[in-house]
Amino acid sequence: MTAAQIYEQGYRRYDGDRTGVGGAIRTLVTHSIRAVLGIGRSARHKVMPIAVILFAYTPAVVFVGVAALLPGDLEDGFLPTYAEYYGFITAALFLFAAFVAPELLCTDRRTGMLGVYLASPLDRRSYLLGKTLAISSILAIVTIGPPLLLLIALSLADSGPDGFVEGIEIGLRIIGAGALMSAFFASISMAVSATTDRRGAATATILGLLVGSTAVANGLVEAGDQSNLFLLGDLVSLPLELTFRIHQETGDWTANEVSTGAMTLAAVGIIAACSAWIWDRYRRMLVRR
Amino acid sequence: MALVTADSLVKRYGSFTALSGASFQIGPGITGLLGANGTGKTTLLGMMLGLHATDGGTLRVLGIDPYAAGAEVRARLGYAPEHHTLPPDVRASDFVRHIAELHGLPKAEATTRASDALWLVGLGEERFRPLGTMSTGQRQRVKLAQAIAHDPGLVLLDEPTDGLDPMQRDDMLALIRKIASDYGIHFVLSSHLLDEVQLICDGAVIIGDGRVLASGTLEQLRGTGSEIVLELEDAGNVDPVAAGLRAGGVAVRVNGRTLVASGGDDSVFDLARDVCVDNQAGIASLSRRRLSLEDVFLETTA
Repeated sequence: MTAAQIYEQGYRRYDGDRTGVGGAIRTLVTHSIRAVLGIGRSARHKVMPIAVILFAYTPAVVFVGVAALLPGDLEDGFLPTYAEYYGFITAALFLFAAFVAPELLCTDRRTGMLGVYLASPLDRRSYLLGKTLAISSILAIVTIGPPLLLLIALSLADSGPDGFVEGIEIGLRIIGAGALMSAFFASISMAVSATTDRRGAATATILGLLVGSTAVANGLVEAGDQSNLFLLGDLVSLPLELTFRIHQETGDWTANEVSTGAMTLAAVGIIAACSAWIWDRYRRMLVRR
Repeated sequence: MALVTADSLVKRYGSFTALSGASFQIGPGITGLLGANGTGKTTLLGMMLGLHATDGGTLRVLGIDPYAAGAEVRARLGYAPEHHTLPPDVRASDFVRHIAELHGLPKAEATTRASDALWLVGLGEERFRPLGTMSTGQRQRVKLAQAIAHDPGLVLLDEPTDGLDPMQRDDMLALIRKIASDYGIHFVLSSHLLDEVQLICDGAVIIGDGRVLASGTLEQLRGTGSEIVLELEDAGNVDPVAAGLRAGGVAVRVNGRTLVASGGDDSVFDLARDVCVDNQAGIASLSRRRLSLEDVFLETTA
């Protein structure tokens, strides 16, 4: 006969360790990523992220498949370079950039979750840090993932870089370029999302800003015959062209037109200006409780 | 043991003074933070959470300066906001678990405790429902569950019965009372409703115009009436007893068999006893007048 024991169940006191601010930021990042990807949410919240991810990865899978099936038979230039690959997924990039930050920032303010977060160990700074990490990580799914997949698959199919060292070098360039692009689009979309509580308005504004800046910058240079430096105001081409420079490839902008230094300065300046705007908005924001 | 101690607390927003020299202590149990809308209750809760700096005076929550060590204090506080527009498509269990994790619980522990807390507030069967599909009463209970799931040292509830019908309100108050007594969790309940504070609170802090008008246990507050009530057994003795008291220098008003003496100290008890003996008047009761919380509120806000 064995002795039976009844364990106390139900609510009880907790005496264990607590994870502190670091743990709070980690859970905020995880929760935010899950929310955007629709994990634990109804089916309609999964449609957009799945569609965008499919859209971003399908070209890479197709190219890898062709390279695997027709090794050696491919003409030069059939496969895109790693920087050129972004040209195939610009729409996915736009959609994610316009969708993720409004979903995470505007929703928190509209539902009063910001007040709940600020009653936890998080403060405004650590809250924004967590959200920035979450948004950048989600954007990295599109900016880093597909070219990295392309690199790995091409390497396995013997159509990739020459040797391990070159593979690592290209991998680092992909991660660097993707991280820069994530940070760039994250900062712009967060700045817009910090300005309005309306998710739809923020999404429309981000898309309008991206498309509008391209039209204005190119219009000034081409039709207005202005300096090429106005191209730096093209919020779509600027990060894309920077990836060409990072991969040491030639994009649409030649070095004679716009220098790499000017492009880097413009990108960093835009990220810094957006960050300052976001912090100013949140620092002054009245939080509903 | 004081959970919250405020001494000459001042808070200004530009030229507007939200709190001007508030001093009080909050002890164990349930304490009502009472005051009309706009009197500084939410400001005070925000200061307890370490979200606003003080412009003067000192504040200690669980022995810590909440503004200097905000994260440390907030990890040990539970908070349920007044509004109930929570994320509509998040399941109650996920929401409560997330808040518990934010307050430092490891994921496995947070998951278990979220479930336990939801069962405790009566939402065990409903815990996987999205918040948007829940009634106001259920959402209030979810807010209570998320405030207690991480086992806080003190829970701040901002208008926890807002939007509830009378039956739901009574159930909610009974639930708070039960959690406080069964699990030793201490609550500060911000409310503008006197009767709900009177119903479940052990103490109260009454705020008006940015000042603390009165604070203490309900017993202390209700017993602070300055009048002494003498109830006689026989109405025929009222006039001579009233005359005797007046002759002793005490102002008296008569209401049936009851005489209310005002303006005297504890010596009035002796005087009343002696006058009744002299007039062979039987005493039904002799005590300081017990005030309702409403009396206290009206008296202090007058």
